[in-house]
Amino acid sequence: MRLIVRRARTAQSPLAIASSMVIAVVAAMLFTAALFALYGANPLQAYLALFHEPFASLRGFGYTLVRAAPLMLIALGTIVSWRSGFGYLGFEGCFVLGAAATTWLALTTSFSFWVFFPLALLLSFATGAVWAGVVALMRARLGGNEVLISLMTNYVAILIVQYLVSGPMRAPGGVPETALLPRATWLPFILRGTRAHAGILLAIVAALLVWMALRTMRLGYELIVSGLSPTAARYGGINVGARLVLAAFCAGGLGSWAGTVEVLGEQHRLMDGISGGVGFTGIIVALLARLNPLAVIPSAVLYGGMTVGANAMQRRAGIPSSITFILQSLIVLMVLASEILRRYRVNLA
Amino acid sequence: VNFHRLMTSAFLATWLAAGLRLSGPVLLAALGETFAERSGVLNVGIEGTILLGALASFLTVYVTGMVWFGLLAAMLTGIVFNLFLAWMYVTVRASQVVVGLVFNVLALGIATTVYRRTLGESSGPQNVAMFAPLHVPWLSDLPLLGPVLSGQTSLLYLTLLLVGLAQFVLFHTSFGLALRAAGENPSAADAAGISVPRMRYIGVLIGGATAGMAGAYLVLAQIGLFRESIVSGQGFIALGIVIFGRWNPWKAALAALVFGACDALQLSLQLGGGNVPPQLLASLPYVVTILAISGLFGGRAVQPAALMVPYAKE
Repeated sequence: MRLIVRRARTAQSPLAIASSMVIAVVAAMLFTAALFALYGANPLQAYLALFHEPFASLRGFGYTLVRAAPLMLIALGTIVSWRSGFGYLGFEGCFVLGAAATTWLALTTSFSFWVFFPLALLLSFATGAVWAGVVALMRARLGGNEVLISLMTNYVAILIVQYLVSGPMRAPGGVPETALLPRATWLPFILRGTRAHAGILLAIVAALLVWMALRTMRLGYELIVSGLSPTAARYGGINVGARLVLAAFCAGGLGSWAGTVEVLGEQHRLMDGISGGVGFTGIIVALLARLNPLAVIPSAVLYGGMTVGANAMQRRAGIPSSITFILQSLIVLMVLASEILRRYRVNLA
Repeated sequence: VNFHRLMTSAFLATWLAAGLRLSGPVLLAALGETFAERSGVLNVGIEGTILLGALASFLTVYVTGMVWFGLLAAMLTGIVFNLFLAWMYVTVRASQVVVGLVFNVLALGIATTVYRRTLGESSGPQNVAMFAPLHVPWLSDLPLLGPVLSGQTSLLYLTLLLVGLAQFVLFHTSFGLALRAAGENPSAADAAGISVPRMRYIGVLIGGATAGMAGAYLVLAQIGLFRESIVSGQGFIALGIVIFGRWNPWKAALAALVFGACDALQLSLQLGGGNVPPQLLASLPYVVTILAISGLFGGRAVQPAALMVPYAKE
């Protein structure tokens, strides 16, 4: 008589999935609690600090929305590309190039905001679309491995932006960065007394649009079928290569918008290191949302909040903010691993 | 004319010697990754493993002062973390790209946190002891190859020996055959009595050991200190080298040498102070790798048939 018995088939009921996910998140939090203890901090107080600032104070919540907006847009890009069968990982590059294109437009033109902003969105989207589209072409036309190629393009994009801010776009002064953008180009702030800006609204609208497109539109259906089974899609008369490039366009464009929002809403200038790994955290947010466009909204707010809380914790308790990378990635890894729990059941009979 | 030829061949020798030295880390990582991929696992987590290996070697040498201890610590670190990765890839059967990618973020978090915990408060980056260049008497007398091969570190000679060892094990032993069978046709391998999960665990662990060594190489034979950006994509470049080397150790060595030569070229152009901006020169190795795996040179057809396909016994 064994206490733990292997199931014939992995349990797929919502209850099984939800409970295994809860166990996974608890496991990740316990591991991180051990790390807090290693730093001589009381784990309970550390967690309280981690979530108090971003969610219980208005000022902190404003910052949470600031961090969540680019994460949301990148997660949406991930969803569009991955569900179309295009394993794009180049969002770090799209982010910095979108930020650069936006900065260039803001510094060289002097439109009013309502002329400038649509133009900036258009230019930024086009930049990211072309950047990701080239990778899609390599995959569709030449059979190249888009996972590796897109990872490599991140480094090229970051070096291009490094060049821009230390050369042609550099403002006079000791630091390699551009001049401050004119105030007329800044995104409006939306919560009095906080730094929350309209970027979060753009991100939420984008989430609704992606959700609708994938759910109700013929194009979304074709994208998903191409991703699930290219052979079946081709048999059904769908041009899989063209769908792949289109998915890459949208993914790159959304990733670039994340950069636009960051520049116009928060930084108000372009500098080296502006991304800070957001291109990868955004992918993790999409994974946490199980590639569901609507679930991206809460998961981006949660992960954005963690970043804000970690910074506060570093200021107050001296615990390095890099510990959030551990917590954020561990949660997703444990959720992935929790699938194994559903292969077994407890035998009490 | 003679003088001119001498100058050219001297430049060539210096360039190739630097290229060989710079190819070390990606070659080490690519050698182990070849085993992982031949067994059916694409380990995108190689980038994070290299970073953790670099940190382990740095801290070990910082404390003990012994470079070989540093190398050993890096190998062990690589093996331990890849045990976790292998569990995720092989036992949990999660998506390999997803696990590897998220693991890289985890590794960055661990490395940054540990480094700041141990040394972060001290002022500025700390230097550690490094592998010294060896002057092998008969080697430097070889025509053509002498100036390139001689004066490298023992770690590089070890790497070159590992190329031969990897080639032999993969293609001339029954273990190598079993490993390749697991990646080529897992059900047939299973039917022949080979444990596919076991082969894949071994493949990923070999990859972890050499990725850890690659990290040690970066610290102990190239830079002499640790920083969070020390790997900067060299793990991903190693994945590209495995493809360009057609999942074959000695061809991977040639591909790594091409990468190293590009890197050496752009570095010497940077030092030469030409008109091309250094950032654009620095992107050369990445651009070359993109072109190498873009599919312009073929490649999909020869990859292990069951690469990235999790195996569950029926």
